[in-house]
Parts: sequence; C-alpha cells; structure tokens
Amino acid sequence: MNELAKKRLSINFKQSLKYLMLVFNDFFIIALIFMFGALMFWYAQSMKTMPANLWFYKSIVGAILWLPLLAGHLVTLVKKADLQFLFTQDEQMDDYLKPMLAYSLILPTILLLLVAGILFPFATVKAGISPLNYGLSVIITFLFKFTQLEIEKKNLLFGNKISNWLINLLTLLVLSFGMYYPLIIIVGVGVVLSMVGYFIARKNQMFDWRYAVNKEQARKNQVYALFSMFTDVEEKQVNIKRRKYLDFLLPKSLAKENPNKFLYRRSLLRNPENLNLLVRMTVFAILVSWLVQSWAWALGMSALVIFLTVYQLLPMVNEFDSNIMYRVYPIVRKNRGQDLVKVLTSGLLIQWLLIGVFWLLFLPIDLHLLEAIALLLVFTLLVTLIYLPYKTKKN
Amino acid sequence: MALKIEHLTGGYTGVPVIKDINLEIKTGEALGLIGLNGAGKSTTIKHILGLLRPQKGEISLNDVVLTQQPTAFKRQVAYIPETPVLYSELTLKEHLELTMLSYDLDEGEAWPRAHELLKMFRLDDKLDWLPIHFSKGMQQKVMIVSAFLADTSLLVIDEPFTGLDPLAVANLISLIKEATAKNKMVLMTTHVLAEAQQAVSEYAVLNNGTIEIVGSLQEIRTHYGLKPTDTFDKLYQILNQEQQNE
Repeated sequence: MNELAKKRLSINFKQSLKYLMLVFNDFFIIALIFMFGALMFWYAQSMKTMPANLWFYKSIVGAILWLPLLAGHLVTLVKKADLQFLFTQDEQMDDYLKPMLAYSLILPTILLLLVAGILFPFATVKAGISPLNYGLSVIITFLFKFTQLEIEKKNLLFGNKISNWLINLLTLLVLSFGMYYPLIIIVGVGVVLSMVGYFIARKNQMFDWRYAVNKEQARKNQVYALFSMFTDVEEKQVNIKRRKYLDFLLPKSLAKENPNKFLYRRSLLRNPENLNLLVRMTVFAILVSWLVQSWAWALGMSALVIFLTVYQLLPMVNEFDSNIMYRVYPIVRKNRGQDLVKVLTSGLLIQWLLIGVFWLLFLPIDLHLLEAIALLLVFTLLVTLIYLPYKTKKN
Repeated sequence: MALKIEHLTGGYTGVPVIKDINLEIKTGEALGLIGLNGAGKSTTIKHILGLLRPQKGEISLNDVVLTQQPTAFKRQVAYIPETPVLYSELTLKEHLELTMLSYDLDEGEAWPRAHELLKMFRLDDKLDWLPIHFSKGMQQKVMIVSAFLADTSLLVIDEPFTGLDPLAVANLISLIKEATAKNKMVLMTTHVLAEAQQAVSEYAVLNNGTIEIVGSLQEIRTHYGLKPTDTFDKLYQILNQEQQNE
C-alpha cells in the first residue's frame, strides 16, 4: 500500500506541476513580482510610520500566522474505483496514508515559513514579541497543522468526525490570544493533542470508503477550480446546482423558445462554471469601481470586465456537443451561435444593471456618472450586437 | 413506409465493424438485434442515429435518406440508450420540455401523454428534480418516458432491460406492443430474450459484423441446428465458435 501511495503521489505531483507551469507563466510571474514588490514597499513604508505596541498587534500576528493553516487539506488520492478494488485493505490504509500526510504538510509549511518570514519584523519590532517566543509560536502553528491533518486522517475511519471548522476556530482563538498569554497556547496544544490521542486510541479500524472518496473529490475540485481560473482543466468535474430561486429568470412559456436557447439559459444559471464567472466578474467590476472612486476609471475597468466575461463565456456554444442525446435529438445546430448571443445578452444586461446600481450607490453622483452608465450600456450593446455575433458565426 | 438499411458498411476511423448489412423493418414491426458483445449491434445503432458516417451504403426511413436530410430523418427517430444520457442542467420536467421543443410536439397534446407515462413509471412526483441525481434505474425510466413521448415512427432501444425493476420491464414491454399496434417500428438490441420475445417476434443475428439470418426464434434455432432440448443460450456458443474460426 505504501508503494501504491508513493506511485499515486508521484503522478499527482507531475500533474500539479503541469498545471502550476501553466498558471505561473511568464506574464503572471512578472505581475506577481510587481505585486509582491508593491506590497513589500508598502509594508516597509508602513513599518516606519506605524505606532508601536498597540494592544491588538499580537492578536493580528496570531491571526496572520493562522492563515496558512487554511491551505492544504489531507491529500489522500483515493479514487472511486478503490471502493471496488481496495475495499479489503482497511487495515493497510494507515500505511497508505503515512506518505500522504507527509506530502500534505509541504504546501502549508512553505506558506507558513513565507508568512512567518514576512511577519517577523512586525511581530518583533511593532508587536513586541520576543524572537524566541515568535519562533516557538511558528513551531506550534506547524504542530497545529500537523494535528489538523492527523484529525482529517482519523476522520476517514467510521465513527464521529471532528469538523475542520471546529479545529480552525480553535486554532485561531488559541493563536490570537496565546500571543498575550503563552500558557493558552500550551493548553490549546494539549487539548488538540488529547483530541488526536482520543482518535488514535479508537478501536475501530473500519475505513469509511465513501466518505474518503467524496472528501478527496471535493478537495480535488477545489484545486482544479483554482487552476481553472488560469487555464483549462480537463479533470475538473462540474457539480450542477438546481438554483430554483433563479427560475424567475427563465421564460414562462415555450412558445418563443428553441432547444438551443432552452439549454443555454439553464447552463448559464445552473452550471457553476458559467454563473460563478458572471457573478465573480460583476463583483470584481463593482469592487474596482469602488476602489478607484472615479467615473472614468470605473467605466474603463467595467467595460473591460464585461468584455472579459463575454470572452470567457463563448465556449458555452459547444457545451453540449459531448452529449450523445444532443446529437440524436433533431436539434438544428446551424443557428445556435445566434441563440447563445440572445441568452448572453440577457446575462450581460443584468451585469450592466448591477454595476450601474452600485455606481449610483458608491460613486459621487453627477452628470458624468450618469453619462458613464449610459456609455457602459452602449458598450454592452456593441459587444452583444457586433462582437458576439461575429465570434459565434462559425457555430 | 419502412426503415431500410442497404449495403451498410461502417465502423470507426476507417476500420469496418459492420460489413454490407441489409435490413428492413416495416411499419408495425419490431425487430430484435442479437449477437455477442462486439458483434456490431451498437455500431449499427450508431449509424442509424447518425452518430457515425457510413463508409458504404445508405439508411432511409420512410423514404427520407439520413445523409441527405438528417434533421427530417432524426425527427422520426427516438432512442433509448443502454446507459442513460441526461443533461445535468435540466430537471425532469425540462427534459420533457426539451423533447417537445426538439420534436416540435404540441404542448397541449404532449403533456397529457407525458403525465400518463410519468405515472406509469412512478416519476410523476419528481418533475422538479434534476434526474442526474436519480438512481440508474430511474434515470433509465426518464430516457424511456422521453423516447415514448417523442411519438416517432421508429424507436431504437439499446439493451432496455438492464437496471429496470420488473414492473418497469412489464410497462416497457406493453409500450413496445402498443407502439407496434400503432404502426410504429421498433429496433431493439438485447440479450434478455425471455422478456424481449413478449414484444418482439422477428430477430436478426449479427455476428462478425454481418447479419447471418433474420427470422423468428424458431427459424434461428433451425438455422443453427439447435436441438429441441438445447437452450437458446447455445446459439451464443455457436456464434463464439464462428468468431474463433474466422
């Protein structure tokens, strides 16, 4: 089992590396360097002007040290087929999970060291924590992550499961308050370790295969969702949500519908890939507009966001091609590009409306702002009337 | 008025799986396509559904040639696949609405029929659910309801009995009988002859990509020299022997 685990880890590492190389491409690296540089510059400047020893600094240090613990669940690489082929291996799963746990510690440890390094000047100079205490806190934070993963591992057996949120909350409280009273950290560690001890002492060795498969699938989906923000991820599974509360956006009658419009509408509302994109981009446009506080910048940035939304939704046109019934049914595919344009137009107009309303709420209201709202509508219409039909013509 | 498959040769990427197949199903007829795994049953079906391009030959349905008028041809065909294929985004009700839209059915006439079928397969209280979350048997019932709702002149049914409960099997058999009584055509592949013969009387035996005989089960027994005491399963041993001798 140990060998199987190592083999799976090696395949998983290669796959992750493949996607990481695509995510961290040249442009993204340059952007990251700039962003990191800007952040460090701001940090260095703030360190000069910031008052020292304010009462809440220590809890801020604790809370920031806690953040890396949120990254990285237990990687088990358990597959659905294991339900069939490994279901006799319950007692050997401990062997299998040992290298998995070690592998799962790599990412949070790197993040913790990075965050701890960056935070060191603030923690020691401004928050007044001694370097020794700070070093100990970092080690204890690492131990928290280890115990958290150990609990996740024990959760894979039948019996009561300890929720990750409970552990996270407990860790946050211990780290935030423990910076003032180191005794709390020690007690906290004791509590967590005894929880682990209780788990380890459990007699039950029956492996909860279904739980393990679902957990791993959920973990993988989170990772793929992260990668898919930058590149296409073929392994990603889409979990469709019913979202009945959005049914009011669908036409009540079939009289003016055709099969393609019917399908695209539902895909836009229920496929998280599509709806999340629309929501994410709209929220992004609103946030940027609020940050820049200028109608001209808000208009430019929001127009860009609307264009990028459409650009990323264009692949919807081929979304059903892999469904055999779509090909078997007498659905005319000739004009489906136009059908998609009609559906996306409704989506973009809703996006425009939301951005416009938030501008009125958050930006200084004057004639320019009203003009900007009208201009954004004209831009949206140009995208739907000229760009979209051109791009979907081939389909 | 018939489904005509004439000199059909086809398969995947240039490799012929079926060779020079000729088959005709007249109105009111149900034909069972039988053979071992890999004999070419599914390939034949995929050609009829327009999912594969024929290397040679022609398929027509009521004088509409598939390659010349694909949409008009498909409008006359409903299909029940061996494994349910659903739209994850659509509720059960919306699957039926999509069928109505695609086959251009009148909603006023189609909904009473749909409710009748839903009730028959005990799905009438699940209209607002996403069938993607149903059990395999229930998903297969959704495929059956959609296909029979389409009210087409040809029904293509691939291994229909797997995963269905006995009640659903009986209902499906009575629907097939009802369809042929209304002069519709049915093409069905199956290994479960005990159930199939309640609705289907003619069979075509497909082996090594060719049709060896078309006839009743008794005619097939005679053709392969089965003794009255032999079970019909012996036919598959003979077909296997033929494949090995090829």
